[in-house]
Amino acid sequence: MVTLNNMDLSHYKKAWKNQPEENNKISQNEIYKMTQSKSTSIVKWIFIIGILEFVVMNSFYFLFDDTSQKEMMETYGMTNVLLVSQIIAYIILFYFLIMFYKNYRDISVIENTKSLMTKILKTRKTVRNYVIFNLTYLVFISIMISVGSLRTEYTHFSTKESAIFLVFMVILTGIMVLVFWLFYQLLYGILLRKLNKNYKSLSDLEMK
Amino acid sequence: MHKELEKKFLDDFDNNQNIVHKVCRIYTTNQDQHNDLFQEIAIQLWKNYSKFRGEAKFSTWMYRVALNTAISLYRKSIRTVKTQDFSDVSFKIASNDYDDTQDQQLTALYNAIRNLNDIDKALIFLYLEDKPYKEIAIALGISEVNARVKMNRAKDKLKKILNP
Repeated sequence: MVTLNNMDLSHYKKAWKNQPEENNKISQNEIYKMTQSKSTSIVKWIFIIGILEFVVMNSFYFLFDDTSQKEMMETYGMTNVLLVSQIIAYIILFYFLIMFYKNYRDISVIENTKSLMTKILKTRKTVRNYVIFNLTYLVFISIMISVGSLRTEYTHFSTKESAIFLVFMVILTGIMVLVFWLFYQLLYGILLRKLNKNYKSLSDLEMK
Repeated sequence: MHKELEKKFLDDFDNNQNIVHKVCRIYTTNQDQHNDLFQEIAIQLWKNYSKFRGEAKFSTWMYRVALNTAISLYRKSIRTVKTQDFSDVSFKIASNDYDDTQDQQLTALYNAIRNLNDIDKALIFLYLEDKPYKEIAIALGISEVNARVKMNRAKDKLKKILNP
């Protein structure tokens, strides 16, 4: 047994250089088959999850598109407010969708490592901002419903009852927002832990 | 035209596939993961091959795509737990001009590199492959000064693992 202690890296480098070719060589045929298979990269996952988020988030709007909901809004006298807010929400949705797709398309593995990571993180940020926007919108809708129902349906409520009702609505909205937020943090936390770590260790000496 | 490009790609890949194997060896810990990463790198290389116009050497381009895939795109899949870890496998090579000491050194080196973080792995790999600092800096997207500082730190970490 030869002792490997106190050896300079150059000895190891020599061993590295002398290492023979891989003995499990992949044939051209197999390489070809590999190139035809589907990528399972993080970028692909971000894209799929991002699209799912847009779909899930927007299926909430259909809740408010419901006729009974519309009637409810009518009795609250808030049809216009709802309509305007929905139009704005759709404009914002398209803006985010375009940005998301643009950022995704910009990701290129042939760029340098740092800008590749920056672009992946930027794409993910677009979706995160959209989620933040949606949660804000959720809070806004919740406030509208609470105020509207207090003004029309529950006019007989005493001040105390109204306060309890409002507190209840605040807690309910708070829980919904919290659950969504934790879910996203967990999802992206798992997905991007490695990338964030690598980005940090690559950037730690760079000037801000 | 497409067939021609395919043929050229497969030849280029074949002549340089050792680079990809080395990257897979330092970034994964078992054969399943090795194959997984190899496949993902092959996909990325082919997907971007039309953008490779031969301004650089194919091997230089391959280093970049392979490392980028390993560092930023690859996620270890859950199904890759059953196979034996590489740490138990020594790099025994049946060759006359390859002596025992170098076998041991190579095994120790691979095991040590696997203990580094992803960025340090890339730095050490490019150092072992004799890449100049300028090229390393460009590949990683950092300044040359920064690359030197990072390289020295990575080498120190590696030495500490090799000679505790």
